[in-house]
Amino acid sequence: MPVPDLFAAGLARGWTTYDGSRLEDDLTLEADVAIVGSGAGGATSAEVLSAAGYKVLLIEEGPLRTSSDFDMQEARAYRSLYQEAIGRTSKDGAITILQGRAVGGTTLVNWTSSFRTPPQTLQHWASEHGVSGLSVEALQPWFERIEQRLGIAPWAVPPNANNAVLQRGCESLGQHWAVIPRNVRGCWNLGYCGMGCPTNAKQSMLVTSIPALLDKGGALLYLARAERLLMQGEQVVGLDCLGMDDRCVEPNGQRIRVVARHYILAGGGINTPALLLRSQAPDPHQRVGKRTFLHLTNFSAAQFDERIDAFSGAPQSIYSDHFQWRDGIAGPAGYKLEVPPIHPALAATLLGDFGPENAQRMAELPHTHAMIALQRDGFHPDSAEGTVELRSDGSPVLDYRMTDYAWNGVRRAFLSMAEIQFAAGARAVLPLHADAHYVRTPRAARELIEGLDLALYRTRLGSAHVMGGCAMGDDPRQAVTDSLGRHHQLANLSIHDGSLFPTSIGANPQLSIYALCAKLATELGDRLQKS
Amino acid sequence: MHEPSLNRRGLLKVGLLGGALLAGGGLLSRTLSASADGAASRFFVLRDSDLPMLRRLTPLLLEGSTAPSDMPQVVQTTLVSLDLGLHHLSPALLSQVRQLFDVLSLPLTRGPLSGIWSGWEVASDDQIRAFLQRWQNSSLALLRQGHASLLQMILMAWYASPAAWAHCGYPGPPKV
Repeated sequence: MPVPDLFAAGLARGWTTYDGSRLEDDLTLEADVAIVGSGAGGATSAEVLSAAGYKVLLIEEGPLRTSSDFDMQEARAYRSLYQEAIGRTSKDGAITILQGRAVGGTTLVNWTSSFRTPPQTLQHWASEHGVSGLSVEALQPWFERIEQRLGIAPWAVPPNANNAVLQRGCESLGQHWAVIPRNVRGCWNLGYCGMGCPTNAKQSMLVTSIPALLDKGGALLYLARAERLLMQGEQVVGLDCLGMDDRCVEPNGQRIRVVARHYILAGGGINTPALLLRSQAPDPHQRVGKRTFLHLTNFSAAQFDERIDAFSGAPQSIYSDHFQWRDGIAGPAGYKLEVPPIHPALAATLLGDFGPENAQRMAELPHTHAMIALQRDGFHPDSAEGTVELRSDGSPVLDYRMTDYAWNGVRRAFLSMAEIQFAAGARAVLPLHADAHYVRTPRAARELIEGLDLALYRTRLGSAHVMGGCAMGDDPRQAVTDSLGRHHQLANLSIHDGSLFPTSIGANPQLSIYALCAKLATELGDRLQKS
Repeated sequence: MHEPSLNRRGLLKVGLLGGALLAGGGLLSRTLSASADGAASRFFVLRDSDLPMLRRLTPLLLEGSTAPSDMPQVVQTTLVSLDLGLHHLSPALLSQVRQLFDVLSLPLTRGPLSGIWSGWEVASDDQIRAFLQRWQNSSLALLRQGHASLLQMILMAWYASPAAWAHCGYPGPPKV
């Protein structure tokens, strides 16, 4: 029986949506609250505020794609559901940045891992970054509420073979591992979360908060780029959006003027600071776009005698925090260990080399395991960090600068991953680096890794978690918003997304964004009532 | 790590020249390749001027992933897939890719930067491998970036195609 397309059914019931690629004239839209970005922060805020009785307009640059469109083909998913058709990288081109760009934002394509913000991170924000009111106790009810809303629970099914390697390796070395909580209901265990869930099991914003918004009479505008905020004194008085062509590549000439009482930016790290920069919004202390973090990720592949089929089954179900906090919150770089799903197109670019060597590595795909280490950047003064800049055409790019401290974390992560892979029974391990080759013993791996020239382009680097760039904090000299997400200079502007984080999270960030933004949106709703 | 034949001074010379040429890359692509601005027939983005380079490079990068007799069809499939991907890139990224292709294709830059002096059609496999190694180890970050982009674009374009999956034991997506 075909899976019912919940979103298509809602549209047929008369939900209010505007397709920016099909406008015949310029358009003006009015709302109580206009929200830019339909991912974790924006859609959660939209659901909360529309439930509180406000007229909400949710604006998304990307296209509307729903379960019946999700055919699990890498090429189609990458070009239609990801920022810059998966071409987004750091400014130097050395770090691939995976971010969603479609109705539902990154929640549409993430791998469903749902962690509460670690207590160490919240304490660090309070003590070092002037963040108030976000203690573990203050956030607990918000985490519980979201976990219930999105069906978040530790994955109860046995892990797929790719995740089982991480579990087995850590177990045999006496290192920490645990089961990952996932935001799914009735998951088919297919393994294609990164290409849009074809069964609507993933509780992404597309099947939860956005339908809730639209059922309450809210509106969705998609294929519309938020180009510029219009400001008078300390007020935002309008938002100019550009209709996009149906590939979401170029503006199509139609303009949408949005007028609202309150504006929320929720385009995520990179796009939210970019909108403020394009708008030349007040930024007296030059904080916008600064301190952007990535959970910079390096990779280790391994071959096993048995089949791993890392393209099949829930992509992430086991993690290890053994190396996350071990050396103190601000000691040598800590990292989280997880595994990525590996489908052929991405695998071919990750496994490296070309010609017969690449072909040989690809031929072993069913027997290939991959592991990733996510660096907890932003906690140490020598940490790598990024700055969002605008290109000459106004589009954003992240200038992320590596440091010796960061490379040291990458090297230790290569060592940790190889050790775990061998402990789990790998017959050969390949740190993903241009000068590396498969090695067959832990000792050979150590020697190889210690000798690697860790440099940009030679080392395969990625990120799926952009955080920071519009930090929250009570000191306007350090932060773009206060601890309630209110812009320090513009009275009716808030930021509700991952760009608020003063450092990286130290865990996949979606649940941190949901819970924080549910809290901020609820408090905003209360304030709007009183004013 | 560098090829023995590329001594430091040689690299430095190429490096300085390359920097100057790349700095003018935008200008070059506008002035010298104006005739190649339109897409080649049956492509959205790829231009006639891009094709000789891509048609020589692609089979080399994909060697071993398919039977030699299938390679012409594999190259065609890869280019169609690459073209569709490029067709969805942001204008800023697409213009970077075009500059990369121009630098590799325009005679004025191709020889000094890639070592492919007499044109892609007549370049030997060894010359192309030498070019790839030279860019991977270049002192110029732009060439190292170019090397990484070329490999990633072409490998990704091929392995996203169902025709590539038998080689890598990928059964394709399940039925829903």
